[in-house]
Amino acid sequence: MKNVLQWSPPEGLQGAELTYTVQYFIYGQKKWLNKSECRNISRTCCDLSVETSDYEHQYYAKVKAIWETNCSKWAETGRFYPFLETQIGPPEVALSTDEKSISIVLTAPEKWKRNPEESSISMQQIYSNLKYNVSVYNAKSNKTWSQCVTNRTLVLSWLEPDTLYCVRVESFVPGPPRLARPSEKRCVRTRKDQTSALK
Amino acid sequence: DGVAVLPPPYNLSVQSTNMKHLLTWSPVSVPGEIIHYFVEYQGEYESLYMSHVWIPSSWCSPAKGPECDITDDITATVPYNLRVRATQGSETSAWSTLKHPFNRNSTILTPPVMEITKDGFHLVIKLEDLGPQFEFLVAYWRREPGAKEHVKVVRSRGIPVHLETMQPGAAYCVKVRTFVKAIGRHSPFSQAECVKVQGETLPL
Amino acid sequence: GLRRCLLSMDIHHIEESFQEIKKTIQAKDTFQNVTILSTLETLKSIKPLDVCCVTKNLLAFYVDKVFKDHQELNPKILRKISSIANSFLYMQKALQQCQEQKQCHCREEATNATRIIHDNYSQLEVQSAAIKSLGELDVFLAWIDKNHQGTSA
Repeated sequence: MKNVLQWSPPEGLQGAELTYTVQYFIYGQKKWLNKSECRNISRTCCDLSVETSDYEHQYYAKVKAIWETNCSKWAETGRFYPFLETQIGPPEVALSTDEKSISIVLTAPEKWKRNPEESSISMQQIYSNLKYNVSVYNAKSNKTWSQCVTNRTLVLSWLEPDTLYCVRVESFVPGPPRLARPSEKRCVRTRKDQTSALK
Repeated sequence: DGVAVLPPPYNLSVQSTNMKHLLTWSPVSVPGEIIHYFVEYQGEYESLYMSHVWIPSSWCSPAKGPECDITDDITATVPYNLRVRATQGSETSAWSTLKHPFNRNSTILTPPVMEITKDGFHLVIKLEDLGPQFEFLVAYWRREPGAKEHVKVVRSRGIPVHLETMQPGAAYCVKVRTFVKAIGRHSPFSQAECVKVQGETLPL
Repeated sequence: GLRRCLLSMDIHHIEESFQEIKKTIQAKDTFQNVTILSTLETLKSIKPLDVCCVTKNLLAFYVDKVFKDHQELNPKILRKISSIANSFLYMQKALQQCQEQKQCHCREEATNATRIIHDNYSQLEVQSAAIKSLGELDVFLAWIDKNHQGTSA
């Protein structure tokens, strides 16, 4: 739900000292509203997360370029619906291992918040049908298999000792297609087999 | 419309298997001439509310041969009217309409192809990709008297999916069938396939 | 509740059909300051008990009014709208069975919500109202999806 408006500079004006001004509109409301932090800015992006934090509303945004005394027309986005269009980030993945098993603990991604002190809202609270696709790679056998889970913990048992396993997890919400962002690959090695270690 | 000198296609019929729908007809032949065909469809909505509206098929406006994949056109579980006409240059035949409207709930569902593998003690299944409308009901059990049958719904297609963590020395059997939510129907189960931990696939 | 009615309905296929025409349809809607489904005020306030009735009424709203009022020339858009219209027809049949089993009772709240939507529609010229309602299909589908899975076990 971190919603950032981005744009490209107008063509043919490379090197010119351009500034930009942004406005946004809540679909069904009456008028365009200013985004004060994005008035006469030189960067080509503007964070509208605060203004679009009510994810069940829909929004438009527009930006115009200003150069000396000239002003471009407004360039406007299509209708943006955060609830359906926001990208769902990967969960936090914690791995712990022993001889023949790996415990995977998943923490649902958090909704964007204005400041760190604000209380966290889990994306699970917004999307109750949030699921995880856990992909496991066995480096020794060079095999990969996946598992779709809804709860937060998963124990992979009866693994091979002293073997490197890599895990990657992707959150997804059944429904209209969304961009997915899998987690970083996390690898862990199961411990050596104690019985063979004692021999 | 051109004057209907060209004879219309005939013997229209739909063959549908696993939610793939193929409309076929007997071709029109004019020696030395190239014939094209135009296919149009009308769902129950159009026939009820706007019967004059016929929609050009996604892939067969025109078609070169006497068949048309209408899978991307038949996208609801309601009866669809279908019609075809032939064209040759500026000449156009009359429309030939499928005798009975086609409903995708009549599709033939076949047992899916599965590939059972193991990664150490982990039983893994890979299922053919039949498209987004298909779910798979995978039944598996430990091969021993009185063993309980477990069922897992798998939606991932074309990638290996973890099924069960097996006990050493045990043998496990698996069978699978498809479920199409859009028409509320199952396929028959596939043949069961069994594997033994630290052994080869067993004959049934 | 809705779950028993629409269990075999594939909502996600309809959502995908809409996603493919959303930008084109919404771009034709030039009245940004007006909504038909009133995103929050009307739909969000619907109680679980009224979900089946409101769904039935809104399906009828789209099938009997919106899809008929909208004239579409682009074959690609026409195909997607036809797909959605025929899927809504199928959903109406599914809800019909629930009605026969007395699970789709219409209370005053549900009837009022539907009337607000019809009133919003009649405020606009027909073509504009139809294109705006089509552009808000994602709101209606998200509401069905949320309420359908909300009543699942």
